[in-house]
Amino acid sequence: MSEKTDNEKSTKVSASIFKKRWRKFKTLKRGYYSFIAIVVLFTLSFILPLFIGRDALIVNYNGNYHFPIFKYYSAESFGQNLQGEANYRMLKQQFKEEEKGNWVLMPVYPFGPNENLLSEMDGNPPHPPSAQHWAGTDDRGRDVFARLAYGFNIGLSFSIIVTFFAYFIGVSIGATLGFFGGRVDFFGLRLIEVWSTLPFLYVIIIISSIIQPNFILLVFILMMFGWIGISYYIRGEFYREKARDYVSAAVSMGAKNKTIIFKHVLPNSLTPVISYAPFAIVANIFSLVSLDFLGFGLPPPTPSWGQLMQQGLSNIENWWLIATPLMALFLTLLSITFIGEAIREAFDPKVYSRLR
Amino acid sequence: MKAENILEIKDLKVKFPVTGGLLLRKVAEVKAVDGVSLEMRKGETLGLVGESGCGKSTIGKAVINILKFSSPDVDITGEVWIKTDKGEIDLLKLNRHDMRQHRGIIQMIFQDPYSSLNARLTVGQIIEEPMLYHTDLSKNARLERVSWLLEKVGLQPEQSKRYPHEFSGGQRQRIGIARSLSTNPKIIIADEPVSALDVSIQAQVINLLQELQNEFDLSIMFIAHDLSVVEHISSRIAVMYLGNIVELGPGKDIYHNPIHPYSRALLSAVPVPNPKRKKKDRTILTGDVPTPMNKPSGCAFRTRCPIAKPECADAIPPLELKAENHFAACPYVTADEIRV
Repeated sequence: MSEKTDNEKSTKVSASIFKKRWRKFKTLKRGYYSFIAIVVLFTLSFILPLFIGRDALIVNYNGNYHFPIFKYYSAESFGQNLQGEANYRMLKQQFKEEEKGNWVLMPVYPFGPNENLLSEMDGNPPHPPSAQHWAGTDDRGRDVFARLAYGFNIGLSFSIIVTFFAYFIGVSIGATLGFFGGRVDFFGLRLIEVWSTLPFLYVIIIISSIIQPNFILLVFILMMFGWIGISYYIRGEFYREKARDYVSAAVSMGAKNKTIIFKHVLPNSLTPVISYAPFAIVANIFSLVSLDFLGFGLPPPTPSWGQLMQQGLSNIENWWLIATPLMALFLTLLSITFIGEAIREAFDPKVYSRLR
Repeated sequence: MKAENILEIKDLKVKFPVTGGLLLRKVAEVKAVDGVSLEMRKGETLGLVGESGCGKSTIGKAVINILKFSSPDVDITGEVWIKTDKGEIDLLKLNRHDMRQHRGIIQMIFQDPYSSLNARLTVGQIIEEPMLYHTDLSKNARLERVSWLLEKVGLQPEQSKRYPHEFSGGQRQRIGIARSLSTNPKIIIADEPVSALDVSIQAQVINLLQELQNEFDLSIMFIAHDLSVVEHISSRIAVMYLGNIVELGPGKDIYHNPIHPYSRALLSAVPVPNPKRKKKDRTILTGDVPTPMNKPSGCAFRTRCPIAKPECADAIPPLELKAENHFAACPYVTADEIRV
């Protein structure tokens, strides 16, 4: 090698394996754009009341500014002839008619997910889609589009939290078995086999017949059953990585077990975690939708896609109650699957494993 | 311990249990090393040769005490004494914590330059790591030493920011050598450090090791299966067969005048890079190496030995002095009986 090429090489910016894989991921357009779309939508869904909701963002009443989105105001405080909380859509109408210079700034889509609209609409619920209610209303007169949007946040958050904790447990247990091996591994595996024979659905049905499941309990139950698969993968990875020379080198240079695990073995064993996580998130969204559909999921009136589908099943002639949540579910799962597919390909060590 | 020695192995035995059945009971054992005694002089290169599976790497790993990590059930007996500034220490008696304190003076170079470097760390981080455990150097001092070491092994200091996958096999082995030198060790166990490299690169790495040996005052245990490589670098050579040392002596003597029947067969198998010169008197061994799970009684080599006698099955023959500083574990051969 001549000196010149050597110097050229050393000035080039050097990339870690992760950076190289991220670059590869970015070239896989379908997965990359799905990733951006899901990240943007999920981030926005945390400030959803700014876009979709019943509470006004700003109310200017008699020269004073009020921010109902952060604070409760009774109807009387704005001179509205109603009981309880102010209805800002009607207030906006009222201010317009009074022409006193008062005004109300509403979110773009001024309906809440749990708000009963029966008093403002003609006819019986469910109402079909219209310019005002993009996906109609459900059988209790609640706006379906708002429920779908809030349900997206709940479903995806739920699934990410479950996946995170399940993988945390799975990685810890798999790593312990794989790293220490021997009898720890032998008896640990037998315990996992016993645990994995517990029928997940029956456990949920039994528990929810005793207590009403809430968000935390459901996360806990799904987490307790979701860690098993990944623990096998991590155990295998640890077994393989532990036998490699760089780990022996770490031992021979005097690293402690903690350093060996966290600095050497774990970073080299996380490939299955990263490439399976999107599919686990898909599976967990689906689990929540199924549980909601069966009635063992989150307690009402939590906006949920499964519960909407359940309504659609009992009101089969109201097509939007089935079509819209199904469409939302389909698009979400499809984009996350695209992400998973792209990650899997970006992490594929074989460069030419696919014809293109 | 003798004054000129830096490392003494006394009657080292390493047995790996073979487990089976429902409750993982021990059903058999593999005697990878079966009673080896070796001395390493200060500043010398001790070559350890033998075919694959004879236990030479196991000796290296037992000396550096990393066998218990990969196989917790391994049964190691014997003594491994090393000389340190604080006196003589038997490494096998130390627990993991105490062993860690002494790892700075005895380091290892690994066979496979691809798997012996953690792909997630930069070259600088890899070379720096032993210093984290054995020195109190500041971050800057460590980085300075990393640059210095990189230059010593023939790489550029700027390359410390790069990752192992950007280097060739020979360069990676240089990185491995730099890592093993970072704590200023006294003893280096080189476990087949060149067998994964191209022949042209092998010579570079071996010459580098020799240069560094002089500069750092190292004692090297050089494990290899390639006799010509070992002969080039070693002052003394130990030949192993099935967990025992069968011959031990100065490198030149072993290479040119092997005494033990196994060493003779091994040397006659070394290819001569000259098509005109035919070896008339080749010793060709028949049969396979017996499994170390079921070693032959007495001399382990007797099942393939051309001069085996019924008495060979009775006891393991000890190493006998055959010529000056030259030992062989066979009572039926002498140094005078030299084959051409």
